[in-house]
Amino acid sequence: MLTMDTLCAFGADTEEGLGRCMNNEAFYLRLVGLAAKDGSYEALRAALDQGDLTAAFEAAHALKGVLGNLSLTALYTPVSELTELLRARREMDYAPLLSEILRRRDALLALCEEG
Amino acid sequence: MMLKSHRNFHSVNGKRQILVVDDEAVNRELLGLMLSEDYDILYAEDGRQALELIRANAATLSLVLLDILMPELNGLELLTLLKQDPELAHLPVIVLTSEKSAEVRSLRLGASDFITKPYDLPEVIQARVRRTIELSEDTYIIQTTEHDELTGLYNKEYFYRYAEQFDRYHAAMAMDAVTLDINHFHLFNELYGRSFADEMLKTIADALRRALEGTGGIACRREADTFLLYAPHREEYDTMLAAILTALGEGGHRPRLRLGVYPCADKGIDIELRFDRAKLAGDTVRNNYARSIAYYDDSLHEKELYSEKLIAGMDQALRERQFQVYYQPKYDIRGERPVLRSAEALVRWNHPLFGRISPGRFIPLFEENGLIQKLDLYVWQEAARQVRRWREEYGTVIPVSVNVSRIDMHNPELLSIFRELMRSNQLSPGDYLLEITESAYAEDSERIIRTVEDLRALGFQVEMDDFGSGYSSLNMLSSLPIDALKLGIKFLQDLPSDPKSVRMLELMLDIARYLSVPVIAEGVEREDQLALLKRLGCDMIQGYYFSRPVPPEEFARFIEKEVSSC
Repeated sequence: MLTMDTLCAFGADTEEGLGRCMNNEAFYLRLVGLAAKDGSYEALRAALDQGDLTAAFEAAHALKGVLGNLSLTALYTPVSELTELLRARREMDYAPLLSEILRRRDALLALCEEG
Repeated sequence: MMLKSHRNFHSVNGKRQILVVDDEAVNRELLGLMLSEDYDILYAEDGRQALELIRANAATLSLVLLDILMPELNGLELLTLLKQDPELAHLPVIVLTSEKSAEVRSLRLGASDFITKPYDLPEVIQARVRRTIELSEDTYIIQTTEHDELTGLYNKEYFYRYAEQFDRYHAAMAMDAVTLDINHFHLFNELYGRSFADEMLKTIADALRRALEGTGGIACRREADTFLLYAPHREEYDTMLAAILTALGEGGHRPRLRLGVYPCADKGIDIELRFDRAKLAGDTVRNNYARSIAYYDDSLHEKELYSEKLIAGMDQALRERQFQVYYQPKYDIRGERPVLRSAEALVRWNHPLFGRISPGRFIPLFEENGLIQKLDLYVWQEAARQVRRWREEYGTVIPVSVNVSRIDMHNPELLSIFRELMRSNQLSPGDYLLEITESAYAEDSERIIRTVEDLRALGFQVEMDDFGSGYSSLNMLSSLPIDALKLGIKFLQDLPSDPKSVRMLELMLDIARYLSVPVIAEGVEREDQLALLKRLGCDMIQGYYFSRPVPPEEFARFIEKEVSSC
């Protein structure tokens, strides 16, 4: 089950995230759940598969905003990195970074769905 | 129009309404949580949905929080649409962004502020939201109070302030102060009704706005039909005047306008004074059918300086007795021989710098600013003393009439002043006559009539001065408490050669007979005029035919002659 402790262990600045949620834990955890299921991950994957850097940037950018607002540092950091690379339209292999992001997202999803 | 739609700041439950636009549910919910305690929140997931909600809630929305990167219509596109729509442009927008470049772009497009992602703490966001709404509402209030409701132009207080502000930032720019008036505006109100006159004012305001567009100039309606313009100097105003007249359309209802221009106005003097000067110039063509534009120039400036010097010098003049009271005899012409009945006291000013100044020059000035009261009092005192002196010297009373200005009639001390004058000079009210101009009656008739009745109750006789100049109705005349009518100089000029003037005179004398009061004709210069007046039944004559106004020493010979012929 997702708790403040498991979230902290996952890699989140829970104090900051909770502060944005007016210290409402339940609300915070519910939004984290929403963020874990965010459709932008799939959009990001699809865009990168097709080599559509613009669409990929938009999806990464959207994720970055959400993750930053919830202070999900473990995800926010690689997504920010990806966003900046995509903004610069770097011709490179995005697959390793994407799979790292998705791995962490899956870990978060698993936390949410546990118990 | 756009402002009126925003009058209803509050939604039904008393909270202000905010629209949060973001395609991410997490971001929407976070803002919703932070703000829902103080505001009613509407949500939209994309720009198109947002636009629909904004249109549907335009009257109640206080703020839009707008994400930039969104599917459908993105934030910057929506912002552009809003700011281009006059119905919606007033609505403040805070942009939600993590992009530095978007911040600048959105501010340029008209966003009020931005909130960065990740969001600051709730308190910070709440404060920014509150501040933005306050600012927008304050701006709305200022916009509605700074404008004249009818024309949408500035009102004068804000106009003067903005003009001063303009000067501060454009110190070197030559500016013209301009006044625009409608000649005989009150007639348009009376003849065609208020709404016609209002439409006329609105048309003029619109034309002025167009004329000033892009020049940096501003305009206001100062009062009634007086418009003010403060604009960068231009060589001529004929084009502007022509444009306004064209806007007013053709036809008999089109008013005549007059423009007073103070070109390259002196920024060293008070802003209001600059417009006083423009108006001074404009009013010189009030009744001029050939000219509609007048410029404040050196000669007007000289005249103004002269007036200022006269006003400034008045107290000293009173102290130093620069004012002299002259007396012009009034003769009874009913009998075989004209008989000296009374005199009118008239003031002269021997100015140490300007020499002898005509009363026509300084009396209207003093009437304008109320100083006339001091001068009147001075003349009343001098005249009362003179009556006493003559009585002491010749044993006979020559009653003297003095002018009572319109403003004196409002002085609550008036009765006690006259009572005291009589007492201190041991005169009776019958020795002293009061002249009140006809136009004073017309202005505030009820109050004036009450005062006149009080004065007559004390025993004073009241002569109506300048009869025929004040457009009194016959009906009103019949109810006025007066003891004599004085016929003004002007229409007597052409007597007896002009049959129309003769007929007019007959009418006036008929009116006097109907009112059962004697008539005193003023300004009589020639024998033929005298003969005609006598034939038509005029009672008394005053004028150069008998004597110009003279100093008291000279007047003595009229008394001596009278005494010796008795």
